[in-house]
Amino acid sequence: MKARTLIICLLYLAACAPLPQVEVSGYVNLEDLQPLQPSTAEVRPLRVAVAAVISPKGTVESYTALLDYLGQRLNRPVQLIQRRTYLEINDLIANGDADLAFVCTSAYIVGSEQFGMELLVAPQVEGETVYYSYLIVPADSPAESMEDLRGKVFAFTDPISLSGRVYPTYLVQQLGETPETFFGRYFFTYSHDQAIYAVAHDLADGAAVDSLVYDYMLARDPSLAERTRIIHRSPPFGIPPVVVGPSADPQLRSDLRTLFLNMHQSPEGRLALEAIGVDRFVVIPDSAYDDARLLVEQVNLPIP
Amino acid sequence: MNWRSLFNRFWAIAGAVSVRTKIMGIVLGLVVLLGLGITLQVRAALTHAMTAQLEEQSGSIGHDLAARSSDLILLNDLTALHRLLEETLENNANVRYAFILDAQGYVVVSTFGDEMPVGLLEIHTAEARDHHDTIVIQTNEGLVWDTAVPILEGWAGVVRVGLSDAAMQRVLATVTTQLLLVTVLVSLIGISAASLLTWVLTRPILDLVRATKQVAVGDFSPRLRRWADDEIGDLADAFNQMTEELGRTDELRREREALRRQLLERVIATQEDERRRIARELHDSTSQTLTSLLVGLRLIETACRDCPARGRVSDLRDLAAQTLEEVHNISMQLRPRVLDDLGLAAALERLVAEWQARQKILADVIIHTGEERLPGEIETALYRIVQETLTNVARHARAKSVSVLVERRGQAVVAVVEDDGVGFDVLAAHANGRLGLLGMRERAELLGGSLTVESAPGRGTSVFVEIPLRPES
Repeated sequence: MKARTLIICLLYLAACAPLPQVEVSGYVNLEDLQPLQPSTAEVRPLRVAVAAVISPKGTVESYTALLDYLGQRLNRPVQLIQRRTYLEINDLIANGDADLAFVCTSAYIVGSEQFGMELLVAPQVEGETVYYSYLIVPADSPAESMEDLRGKVFAFTDPISLSGRVYPTYLVQQLGETPETFFGRYFFTYSHDQAIYAVAHDLADGAAVDSLVYDYMLARDPSLAERTRIIHRSPPFGIPPVVVGPSADPQLRSDLRTLFLNMHQSPEGRLALEAIGVDRFVVIPDSAYDDARLLVEQVNLPIP
Repeated sequence: MNWRSLFNRFWAIAGAVSVRTKIMGIVLGLVVLLGLGITLQVRAALTHAMTAQLEEQSGSIGHDLAARSSDLILLNDLTALHRLLEETLENNANVRYAFILDAQGYVVVSTFGDEMPVGLLEIHTAEARDHHDTIVIQTNEGLVWDTAVPILEGWAGVVRVGLSDAAMQRVLATVTTQLLLVTVLVSLIGISAASLLTWVLTRPILDLVRATKQVAVGDFSPRLRRWADDEIGDLADAFNQMTEELGRTDELRREREALRRQLLERVIATQEDERRRIARELHDSTSQTLTSLLVGLRLIETACRDCPARGRVSDLRDLAAQTLEEVHNISMQLRPRVLDDLGLAAALERLVAEWQARQKILADVIIHTGEERLPGEIETALYRIVQETLTNVARHARAKSVSVLVERRGQAVVAVVEDDGVGFDVLAAHANGRLGLLGMRERAELLGGSLTVESAPGRGTSVFVEIPLRPES
């Protein structure tokens, strides 16, 4: 009897201190290494490059519907490519590493001049195929013009951005100075939504941003209106186009043009257009970008 | 039942060790049990907590990596991605590996470089699109918590990060070792404390054991000290009381014994005196008278040769002679004069000769007691014992021969009487309380000696007496 109670006590003790049961999914030997297999693509996808107008995540959110539409209509996979700078996108088009690109106006100007970047179609927003550069400041700032931003902190977007760098530099040059001498400090955000963010959160005293992006973001987040204020609007410039490279397949080019031009006529197409804030795509002449070319020449930024 | 025999065996061993060992065993056993129990419990609790922490860390690092790498993947900034992974590895000791897969499942960048452990990719396929998933993998380096976190809900790819439990195991080992060391330390302290405790407890008990042993051999002098006012103290008091009582009783017994002995001695002495007096009386007075009678009758016989009454006078003379001899025998039996005058040797020779003649049984006597006479009471005692023994032989033994030996051996006198008779059962005789035997033994013991009877039915009898010459009564 004594022995039995002793055994029961021991079992109780053992139960009180259980060893944790971990569910193991399998075994891997971390020393047993094997070279990686390079990725094999079965069908070559349509590679679409989108310039860093807005943040990469934002780009993904906005363009997914459009790319899905293209892929479905062309019956081939579509791959979204993004790069940090406009010039990198230009390189992709120039080398044929991207079939199609959504670029900024200034990038088109540079590209068309340097390697024959071709205009495919242009978006139409609120009936217009032009856009502007907005000079914005924090809502509580007393600044009314570029003059008032002397010695302040300014946020540029991409180094060759027309609305985000070229035009504000033009304004500074009009005041007889350079950004280096005029601003207390300036930095590059590489995307317009980041520049707007910087101003909205008082990280910068001012910035110049793409009007399309600003309006698009305002529609998404009305509280921006309470945090930023537009103090100046530039003259109109040609809207950022959709381009292809000079060595693009003519058949593909033709198919794509047709697709874009007819996008607004189908429900899926309209959804895709809505996601990027565009009414429809149209054809415009290259001359629509002459004003922008003049500005670029005048400002004469060193092209990196 | 087998358990019972096992338990009995265990108790036979465990119960046989000293009280000190028992107490120390209990203390040690308890400390070790407690120490081991606590160690196990702490280890289990610690393992549980650290495992949970590791799992959580795996998830949080994975999420952090996913958040920071999303832009980099979209922009295909491989350099920055690689640096991100390296920094993650550097800043988190538990991270064993990390790699990022694109939306098609191909490795974009990895801490394993261009290689990948076999099976690592396939072992974890993250199904969830909106939150992370952690599994545990057994590896050659121990357990690894592998977390998969989708980047941009899987659109841009998947982060995989693996945390190993090596650091955790090291901590566990350290803690376990420390706890065990503490247990050992406390065990040692416990043993010392137990030693002290047992010394305090067993000291009075050992005293008791010693004192009891002394009492057992007849020494009623020891008294115990009352060490403490507990049960053992009460035991000491009770022991002292008992010993005092025993001592008193023993004293009484001795006194009584001494008195008895004195009485017996006196009785025997008185008896011997009486016998001597009567023997002397018979010899001096009665024998003389009878001798006178004989002489007178002889005269008459001689003077009256032709008288008609000559025949009657002759008969009377025979009668008188017979009477004289009987008186002589009685006197001899009662107390032989020769014992007082010439000593034991002569008396015994006379006794044996006369006994042989009377009983018609062959008897021989050998005496080597030396030149000096023995002390009187010893001679008397030995004479009486031999006398009683011969009487018994004549009465019961139906022997053909008897031998008597008395000699001085060392500081004692030894007497041996052997017969070849029918023997008897000594124990039965004792039980029946045959006084003759008891009386002989009493005589010998009064003088500090001993008497032994060896006999068995059909094998004769030997009576062996030894009396020391310096009696210790």
